[in-house]
Amino acid sequence: MTQTDTAVRLEDITKRFPGVVANDNVDLPVERGSVHALLGENGAGKTTLMNVLYGLYQPDSGRIVVDGEERDFASPRDAIDAGIGMIHQHFMLVDTMTVAENIALGNEPRKWGGLAVDREAARRDVVELSERYGFDVDPDKTIADVSVGVQQRVEILKALYRGADVLILDEPTAVLTPQEVEDLFDVLDELTDQGKTVIFITHKLGEAMHAADDVTVLRDGKNVGTVDADETTREELAELMVGREVVLDVESTPPDVGDTVLDVDALSVLDDREVPAVTDVSFVVREGEVFGVAGVDGNGQAELVEAVTGLRDPEAGSVEFDGRDVTDAPRRDRIDSGMAYIPEDRQERGLVMDFDLVENGILGSQHGAPFASGGTIDWDASRTHAEDIVEEYDVRPPDADTEAVALSGGNQQKFIVGREFERDPRLVVATHPTRGVDIGSQEFIHDRLLELRDEGRGVLLVSSKLDEVQGLSDRLAVMHDGDVMAVVDPDEIDEEELGLLMAGEYPEGYEPRSERDAEGVAQ
Amino acid sequence: MSFSERAHDLLGRLVRASAFERFLISTSALLLSVFIGALIILGAGRMTDCASAAYTIAVPGKFVTTTLPGLVPGVVKSVLPGGLWPSQAVFAMGFCYDPFAVYDLLFLGALGDVLNNPLNSQFATTIAETTILMFTGVAVAVAFRADIFNIGVQGQLVVGALTTGVVLTYVAPPLAGLGVLATIVLLPLGLLLGGVAGGAYAAVPGALKAYADANEVITTIMLNFVATSIALFLVSREKYFKDPESFANQTVNLPDVALFPSWLFRARDDVSLLAFAFAVVVLVGIWYLLQHTPFGYDLRTSGLQPDAAEYGGVDADRTIVSSMTLSGALAGIGGAVYVLMVLGNFQTGVPDYGFDGITVSILAGNNPLGVGLAAFLFGVLKSGSIVVQVGSDVPPTLVGVLRGLIILFVAMPEFFRMIGQKFGSFGRPGEPVATDGGSGGGSDE
Amino acid sequence: MSDDRRVVGTARSAVFSTYDRLFVGRGRLQQAVIGIVLLAAVGLVAAGLLAPQSDAGRLFAVLTADSTLAATLRLSVPIAFAALGGIFAEKSGVINIGLEGLLIISAFVGIWATDVTGSVWYGLIGGVLASTLLAGLFAIVCIEFRADQIIAGLAVWLIALGLAPFLSSVIYGSKNSTSVDTFPTLPDMGIPVLSDAVTAPMPVVGVAPVDIPFFGALFDASPPVYLMLLAVALSWYTLHRTAFGRWVEASGENPKALDTAGVNVHRVRYAAVLLSGVLAGVGGAALALGVGQFTGNGPTMVNGKGFIAIVAYLFGNYNPVGALASTMLFAGLDATQLTLQARDVFQVPTELVRTIPYVTVIVVLALFGRTRIPSAGGEHYESGEDE
Repeated sequence: MTQTDTAVRLEDITKRFPGVVANDNVDLPVERGSVHALLGENGAGKTTLMNVLYGLYQPDSGRIVVDGEERDFASPRDAIDAGIGMIHQHFMLVDTMTVAENIALGNEPRKWGGLAVDREAARRDVVELSERYGFDVDPDKTIADVSVGVQQRVEILKALYRGADVLILDEPTAVLTPQEVEDLFDVLDELTDQGKTVIFITHKLGEAMHAADDVTVLRDGKNVGTVDADETTREELAELMVGREVVLDVESTPPDVGDTVLDVDALSVLDDREVPAVTDVSFVVREGEVFGVAGVDGNGQAELVEAVTGLRDPEAGSVEFDGRDVTDAPRRDRIDSGMAYIPEDRQERGLVMDFDLVENGILGSQHGAPFASGGTIDWDASRTHAEDIVEEYDVRPPDADTEAVALSGGNQQKFIVGREFERDPRLVVATHPTRGVDIGSQEFIHDRLLELRDEGRGVLLVSSKLDEVQGLSDRLAVMHDGDVMAVVDPDEIDEEELGLLMAGEYPEGYEPRSERDAEGVAQ
Repeated sequence: MSFSERAHDLLGRLVRASAFERFLISTSALLLSVFIGALIILGAGRMTDCASAAYTIAVPGKFVTTTLPGLVPGVVKSVLPGGLWPSQAVFAMGFCYDPFAVYDLLFLGALGDVLNNPLNSQFATTIAETTILMFTGVAVAVAFRADIFNIGVQGQLVVGALTTGVVLTYVAPPLAGLGVLATIVLLPLGLLLGGVAGGAYAAVPGALKAYADANEVITTIMLNFVATSIALFLVSREKYFKDPESFANQTVNLPDVALFPSWLFRARDDVSLLAFAFAVVVLVGIWYLLQHTPFGYDLRTSGLQPDAAEYGGVDADRTIVSSMTLSGALAGIGGAVYVLMVLGNFQTGVPDYGFDGITVSILAGNNPLGVGLAAFLFGVLKSGSIVVQVGSDVPPTLVGVLRGLIILFVAMPEFFRMIGQKFGSFGRPGEPVATDGGSGGGSDE
Repeated sequence: MSDDRRVVGTARSAVFSTYDRLFVGRGRLQQAVIGIVLLAAVGLVAAGLLAPQSDAGRLFAVLTADSTLAATLRLSVPIAFAALGGIFAEKSGVINIGLEGLLIISAFVGIWATDVTGSVWYGLIGGVLASTLLAGLFAIVCIEFRADQIIAGLAVWLIALGLAPFLSSVIYGSKNSTSVDTFPTLPDMGIPVLSDAVTAPMPVVGVAPVDIPFFGALFDASPPVYLMLLAVALSWYTLHRTAFGRWVEASGENPKALDTAGVNVHRVRYAAVLLSGVLAGVGGAALALGVGQFTGNGPTMVNGKGFIAIVAYLFGNYNPVGALASTMLFAGLDATQLTLQARDVFQVPTELVRTIPYVTVIVVLALFGRTRIPSAGGEHYESGEDE
């Protein structure tokens, strides 16, 4: 292998943040014209490493070598000049500007001695570029009006427009449907065929194996191995990722189902932009069962859950909780009558970041017994409560006086889970309950969830982790584009069928059973 | 753990504790404002004319040229023989105003001869100013804690004062003969009127914010202008509420039984320890309300993180309206106290208590108990500005400049943290001091 | 025939598109208010033409007096300039609530500099410098030291509210300054050709531009009015057609997008806030130099114009032209109020009439308050954070 075959080489990169070593002496060689996957769990340091390569962070030590030359990136500008482009997980696009304006941003072609943007030239360049790589984008559309898949392509075009030879994609598939994912991989092939180099960050084993030539696994900020994608196995990668063999199956006994706790009927919900996000969805959750909702993020799960938990007014339909119509009831009514809720966004919703854990422990219970009586909050009881959660759910640091903001994401999540589980709920609505939580705590949370089920409480579980919903659920609804495609038995359906349903297609010879199921249950 | 480790740990915790940090920031901001204020006084002193300089900057200074040689003549001579010691300044510049004298008048003048005569009239003025600023300060603080910028405290105070002054002119005279009994009825009634009127006037922008998304900063400022105009309208016409016997725009004087008793102080000092004590009780009550009741919890949660509040079952819209109403009621009570303690009737041209309340609240980190301290400090400034006006040529509007500077500097905690970090390892990069909470966070995704 | 039909067609489509703009996609309350305002306008015009002696007719006469347009233009200047400044700052992500303070300081310094130099133009420059300096302080505090923008903006207002009367007292011995020269109007400026052209009768019509009913005021205005019109056009161009304008937009909507595109967000925001200082400075100095004196009692002569400017650009949806239109609305109300007082047409109490612009601001904000502010407005941005 000659020097020029390596497009990028990171050597001994170390990057520290207060309290954490995000990257610990990481080496990463990337071959020119290849797709290189950077695989690891959340928090393994993948994004940090790529931000270092893109000049957003400066490493504490180590070298960056591009095209055989050592580089020092003080800002993204330097990285862009060296031919590196990055497509972030959250798109760096300005919603109010057009596709062409976004692509040209910061590099606008000028006319009239620089006094004006040459909008025609910008438009022409964009059309030319998108034709060369076979992209289908309209340069005059406003970003807010195009789909997520197109937005991603705009991001890629933006990097190419700046002359990028090396493209970094951060979790590019997280927001895409399976079909869009396939299209993206075709685009990556096209790019490497034309001599570009691609690094993509992912935490999904399958994607890394499927789309990449080489896979580098990061764990706890360290490079634990670079392997050839064709020669490795899922088991090997999984073991590298988590450091021990994982049992993905959750032990669960058959459910002992009781009365209906939650009855959602013909529910339609609008999203923040007043666009229908959930259309005519019906299902029930019964005592003693876990009802799972699977789907690619952004297919209406968030809005559905918000309507169920009282955070969003539905457009049509009804929600019955414990035999009472609560469709228009305020959120507090649901909390008081025993609906626990682990929200998707723990830092915006689940915790008040500037409150300590004593104060956070009563969030939702501040209005009545046992923590408030006679118009006064009982802070002693609240403290005991918080300390109990901290102990039982292994929240670290084990100090109830810590402000929520000082906890790591995983510990924040454990505290929320503890608070909600200890509410003595009739129904637990859990969205991504183990997101960002270490493996040990994941198992603990799963066990507690099943315990609650076995005690006869209902569980509505929403997760984008397929193994989690599939493993825990007794019945599983698959959502696509605001619709429940089907309610299936998670033990019988295979991954491929599930994938098709999530993409909005029925597998061949598949008989849509959702209505029959729903009716069967309702009776 | 060794003692020094423990001490260091304790110190670290103290510094991290937001209350202590805010105290440090407020103090630093105050000192910096005083310093900049001194520069402004000097600068202003160059822009005006005077017969002789009140203050001179000389290099080298008087200490070197005169004082030192006088103290130790032998030493100076022996170190630097042959007339090398400077006997006069090489450079000197005179200023018409002496900042030290101004600050002396401003800060110490406000206290009067407090050690010998704690009831002196200048100190009485300071207490009276402090009392009213406690109300406007805590009014702003309550709203701030709910993440609402109630810039309309001034207008709410005017409306409260106007209502109290006007209604009592009809209610009070018939009861005047009842003596103490009348006071027991009329004082609470007057305060209640002020509170209700101020609360109602603040509920309007509150409701507009909650249900129509109208920015409360703008609406409350506009309502300040409206309140002043309406007050002028009603009090400048005899067919409405103007006192026909007076040239000034004011209502009829209220009988003494309707007013706060002066007790220890002289009646003409317009101050009442009862009103002051009432203000203290209100501050403690508001503190208890915020820290120990579900309503306070809801209010603080909404202020820090509206999404989390909603999640916790708080009705966001109702909380906005009720915190705004509470804030306005406190301002209105402040207006009532102004009428019942200081004026004895309602007059147009109400001083800027509302805007000073903003500074008081921000300086106190929006903590009701801290408001007490900050209000006293501002009471001193307000009262001292009168002393400055009498005792020097410096315009008393200087206090207005200091008010703005203090707000500006308290608003930039990062500046002091950066300075702090240069001299020690304390401080963490944090959020703006105001009210918007929860940015950042330990995400490990 | 066909020409007629085309004219009718054009008129029809114009009517429909106006109707769409006014009514479609609005709430019922908004529609009702717009409808009432339109009806009242139609009624007023009808009364003015048919029954000039009625109250409505006399109001119409007041509204169409060229002194009303002249006053509207004059009163628009400080609000429009402040609004333009506010647009740049807020679009870049820095909410500048201190515009009022910038107007106050530049009003005072404008007078003082004129007093010292003897030239209104140097006065204008002095006012602009003072305002830009204060805006620069605000920018440093917000951008470098991450101050809460609203609080820092209030501080800017309060500093100016204290400092301007303070300096006036120091220099002039009173919160009100002495009188200085004011800006001349276009016919009096002695500009070769132009000054004569507007006063000379035009061929064919035989009327001088300044004597045209109502619109004559456009030719008889002082330089700041023309500067205002120019500034609106230039601001629109800068925001929509130059790279800097695009960066300002990106900086307010998605600063990270701009940062990752290699443009320094802080620098864009500094430029935008300083520009708001320059623009507000012109407005404040022009306000004071139109009167020839600084008055510093109470809320000073600026009297809330900076806050009205904020509502004006919100109402104008951050578009300089829209901001000018809503500014003219507020200024027009104020001008009508002044003319009403001057002519003593109705027995309306001045104190209450004076509140009309403020109440209008509240009503407008309540009805149309849901403007979409820039996504990152009010938020601090630091490169490389929050990953």
